[in-house]
Amino acid sequence: MTGALPVALGNYVALASVMFFIGVVGVLVRRNPLVMLMSIELMFNAANVLFMAFARAWLQNAGQIFAFLVITVAAAEAAIGLAIVVAVFRSAATVDVDEVRSLHG
Amino acid sequence: MIHHVMGNDGTYPLLIALWLLPLLGAILCWGFGPWLKARAGWLASALVGASFVLAVLSWGAGTQSVGGTLGAHQSLLSWIPGFDFGLLLDPLALLWVFVITGVGALIHLYSIGYMDGDAAFARFFAYMNFFVFAMLTLVLSDNFVGLLIGWGLVGLASYFLIGFWFFKPSAVAAARKAFVLNVVGDVGIMFAIFLIVANVHSIGFGDAFAAAGSYATPTLFLICLGLFVGAAAKSAQVPLHTWLPDAMEGPTPVSALIHAATMVTAGVYLIARCAPLWSVNADAQMLVGTIGGLTALLGAILGCAQWDIKRILAYSTMSQIGYMIMGVGVGAYEGGVAHFFTHAFFKAQLFLGSGLIIHALANEQDIRRMGGLAKKLPYAFVVMLVGVLAICGTPGFSAFFSKDMIIYGTLQHGHPWLYAVGILTAGLTAYYMLRLLFVTFLGSYRGAVDPSDLGIRHPELAGLPSDGDPAPQDATAHHHAPAWIMNLPVGILIVPSIFAGWLMFGGANSPWAHFFAGQFPVPNVVVPPISEGATSAIVFACVLVGAAVAAARYASKGALADAVARLRSESVRMPALLSNRFYFDAAIDALCVRSAQLAGTFFGRVADPHVIDGTVREAAISARWMGTLMRSLQTGLLRAYALILVFGAACFIVYYALAGGR
Repeated sequence: MTGALPVALGNYVALASVMFFIGVVGVLVRRNPLVMLMSIELMFNAANVLFMAFARAWLQNAGQIFAFLVITVAAAEAAIGLAIVVAVFRSAATVDVDEVRSLHG
Repeated sequence: MIHHVMGNDGTYPLLIALWLLPLLGAILCWGFGPWLKARAGWLASALVGASFVLAVLSWGAGTQSVGGTLGAHQSLLSWIPGFDFGLLLDPLALLWVFVITGVGALIHLYSIGYMDGDAAFARFFAYMNFFVFAMLTLVLSDNFVGLLIGWGLVGLASYFLIGFWFFKPSAVAAARKAFVLNVVGDVGIMFAIFLIVANVHSIGFGDAFAAAGSYATPTLFLICLGLFVGAAAKSAQVPLHTWLPDAMEGPTPVSALIHAATMVTAGVYLIARCAPLWSVNADAQMLVGTIGGLTALLGAILGCAQWDIKRILAYSTMSQIGYMIMGVGVGAYEGGVAHFFTHAFFKAQLFLGSGLIIHALANEQDIRRMGGLAKKLPYAFVVMLVGVLAICGTPGFSAFFSKDMIIYGTLQHGHPWLYAVGILTAGLTAYYMLRLLFVTFLGSYRGAVDPSDLGIRHPELAGLPSDGDPAPQDATAHHHAPAWIMNLPVGILIVPSIFAGWLMFGGANSPWAHFFAGQFPVPNVVVPPISEGATSAIVFACVLVGAAVAAARYASKGALADAVARLRSESVRMPALLSNRFYFDAAIDALCVRSAQLAGTFFGRVADPHVIDGTVREAAISARWMGTLMRSLQTGLLRAYALILVFGAACFIVYYALAGGR
């Protein structure tokens, strides 16, 4: 019992996969925490796209509700993340994540 | 389950009082010694004397017989069922209580003189009173656990008193040796108690003896064996006797009280107490009788080869206890107990008499350096003479009756070999005791002779203590204690050591037999081919031969004129077997001490550092190693963590992609 979609479901999945992959690569290769946070947002939104697509495809609203939840958590995460970045910059005078490694074993 | 209690149950405050008075004395002397000073001796003697008076007053309670139940029983406390503690005063216990408190009080009195001027005067009397209390606990207990407690406490008191002069290394070593050997015995008794409790679920004598016929024979033999290991260790029976001669390191009154009259006879008490067990196990009787006979003979032989006056008496004690053990072992309980009774008097008297000599000669204990003391110390001579006549079994003296009861008893109970051993030992006893008497008191005084002329070379190799009692006892120190304080107790002891034996005169009608009526199981007695009168005659003939040999060797005119040279040649030509005391010490050293040392070395050098410590050390090292490994993962690089995370997630994805819908 699936709802008819104007665009095929596989396209949404492909889009989300691409977005998620770009986010992963962004986190791994960039050293600027701001860009890393943005990459994380990208991964969140890849998940959101999937939630919306499958919610529509299966005609179940739980997926849409989860998308809102993810947006909320993402906002909170961004706020905390930016606060940490500011705090790190104040103490270490840099925001390069490779330079900030005082927790090494 | 019905519990069998020995004795007539009731309330006997006198019994409790006579038991606890010496403990009170010990606590007072211990706690207030510096304040009591010399009064400690009088206090301790008075309390033991009071205990003796209470024991006399308890005569009626102890000898009462209601419907065949002998004696008085006072309950103290009940623990779990089968574990009831109480006091039992029956004729057997009463006899021991009389000797412990009576002879004990006399020896306490004597000690006031002997220990006068010792720096630890009050401590000495605290220990002595503590010993009396412990010994009373042993003989008054109505159960095996109470007996074992008393058993251990007398060992502790003995340890304290042997090592009383703890600044003498030899005394400390002797105390330790005595304690260790006694603990061997304690363990034996403990295992016997385990077996009894496993079989009858009770520690009481009554329960254990009521079931005497129901034990499996091997179990009963093991119980008797365990008890006998304890008896052998405490009563210096072969091969656990080696501590007794060394125990002479203690003050002479201690030797008289603990190592002659009372504690060392605890083994005799134990076997007499457990007569219902022994009388139904022939193997146990054979074992104990044989060991007793062997000890009597070996002790007498070794007594012939000693030069230290106290060591001669120690070996004599060992030999006489061998007699007692032989008597109670074969089933002649009344005879064995009778010899305990008479021996307590004459041996205490001999020890106290030797104390008079040692005291007068400023701590000389080697009889080779005495001689001619009959004129110098006439009182000591009389005392020792009576004691020697008594121990030899001279007709009319106490041991004549008690020793003959044992020797004849071995024959009555079917042990002719032990009969022969008993007679032979009686002859040897006469020889070595008269040797002691003649060498000490006849001839001329040899104290001024150079020791090497007497054959005294290495004191430690000759088996002599390196120095005697170190208490200040030269003539000037005598001012405080009058002479009578030492002479009176010895004088009192002369009376029973002559006359105590007459109690046993008259066979089944003697006061002795009446006193013990119903105490011991009546065994099947064979009528031996040799009558009791003939036995006495044979024993006395043997004694006369021993006495004649001793007289020829030490008291003849020629021997006395040539005493120095003769003693020298006897010392020098002493067979190695005798001067090494049959190598018992060496054998125990090789078998037990060396093997324990080897085991200790193995555990100390291998097992402990490499197995136990090694395990702990390896655990610590591996924890550190694991930590180092794990720490290297904590790079602090944020992107490395992210990479690991992604890698993990990728693994999941690959897994689910490959596993599909399954």
